[in-house]
Amino acid sequence: MSRINDVGGVQGFGELVVEQDEPPFHADWEAHVFALNTALLRKRIYHLDEFRDAVERLPPAQYLAASYYERWYLAIRTLLVEKGVLDAEELDDVHDG
Amino acid sequence: MTFTTGELVRAKSVDPPHHTRLPSYARGAVGTIVRPQGAHLLPDDVARGISAPEEAVYAVRFTARELFGTGDHTVTLSLWESYLEKP
Amino acid sequence: MSGDHSDAPIAARVRRMEHLLEQRGLVEPGVLDETLAAFLNRATPMNGARIVARAWTDPVFRERLLVDAQAAIAGLELSMGGGLRVQDLQVVANSEDEHNVVVCTLCSCYPLALLGPSPTWYKSEAYRSRVVREPREVLREFGVDLRPEVGIEVWDANSEIRYMVVPNRPPGTENLTEEQLAALVTRNGLIGTALV
Repeated sequence: MSRINDVGGVQGFGELVVEQDEPPFHADWEAHVFALNTALLRKRIYHLDEFRDAVERLPPAQYLAASYYERWYLAIRTLLVEKGVLDAEELDDVHDG
Repeated sequence: MTFTTGELVRAKSVDPPHHTRLPSYARGAVGTIVRPQGAHLLPDDVARGISAPEEAVYAVRFTARELFGTGDHTVTLSLWESYLEKP
Repeated sequence: MSGDHSDAPIAARVRRMEHLLEQRGLVEPGVLDETLAAFLNRATPMNGARIVARAWTDPVFRERLLVDAQAAIAGLELSMGGGLRVQDLQVVANSEDEHNVVVCTLCSCYPLALLGPSPTWYKSEAYRSRVVREPREVLREFGVDLRPEVGIEVWDANSEIRYMVVPNRPPGTENLTEEQLAALVTRNGLIGTALV
């Protein structure tokens, strides 16, 4: 059961889409997900291999539908909940959307 | 088991139910050790919270023909000793 | 696995996560922005370009770079510590009859400290799946049309070793300074999806 991230040599993903003059991040939240992950790795809340594992454990349909940094957010969320750092309920308690 | 540069090795034909850094496309394929790449913790263990000593990592070169049955290029992967066996 | 049950926009969910982590004392307010600004300031393809320009002009440096990249780049006051954490580095050089190209098929491993944040195409399933199987076609889509006799070496960055490519020095650049040479080097050239 290779995981959904293991795409080397898999056929059918189609043509490359290359964005010209792409910015480092497309939105503030992407940059913040990147920085949050850096901070949590540095604080040893989780290990990089655990983070990769959490990305790969996303259900395949969700993995493929999500953007790159959405995957990261979901993986960080998984690890924070699994490690008892935050509750799923409080993470979902979002009112300012 | 240690391997030397120029030696033929086979990437194990395994199918682990956990995190691993041995890509599917290389499993079971025979390649050549091209360079030792130091020692690193085995990601399969780290991701599962298992503590184990670092192990040797090697750059292993495969022909596209061996990996995919077609193509004239080569692909080089970094493979932990645990991922390799004598062919 | 804990599912995400919020319909709120992702930006709001990220803010919520950050706020909760600040409350727990795991993230200090304001520090993320400072870290990001410092990272973006420090980690740019200009670092990789400087290394290439030196390798083009200094054969001893080039030799050292290909054998022990980390030690070599320390001489340029560069390190692999500018990204998430210190990474191992191996530098591979193109030649007249061999072209190198880098990918991470399993995720998105990339020499952040030397190239800055990676482009979206590098992280895409299309690139990750195809470049190991049909690099010649993928390179052609990038406008790199290699002669059939030029061999292609694909490097899958599936371990903790990061790869960077030294492109071939373009002809007619003999009189350029190291700084002018560095300005010719593109990010894609350092990945292997451009000739320079």
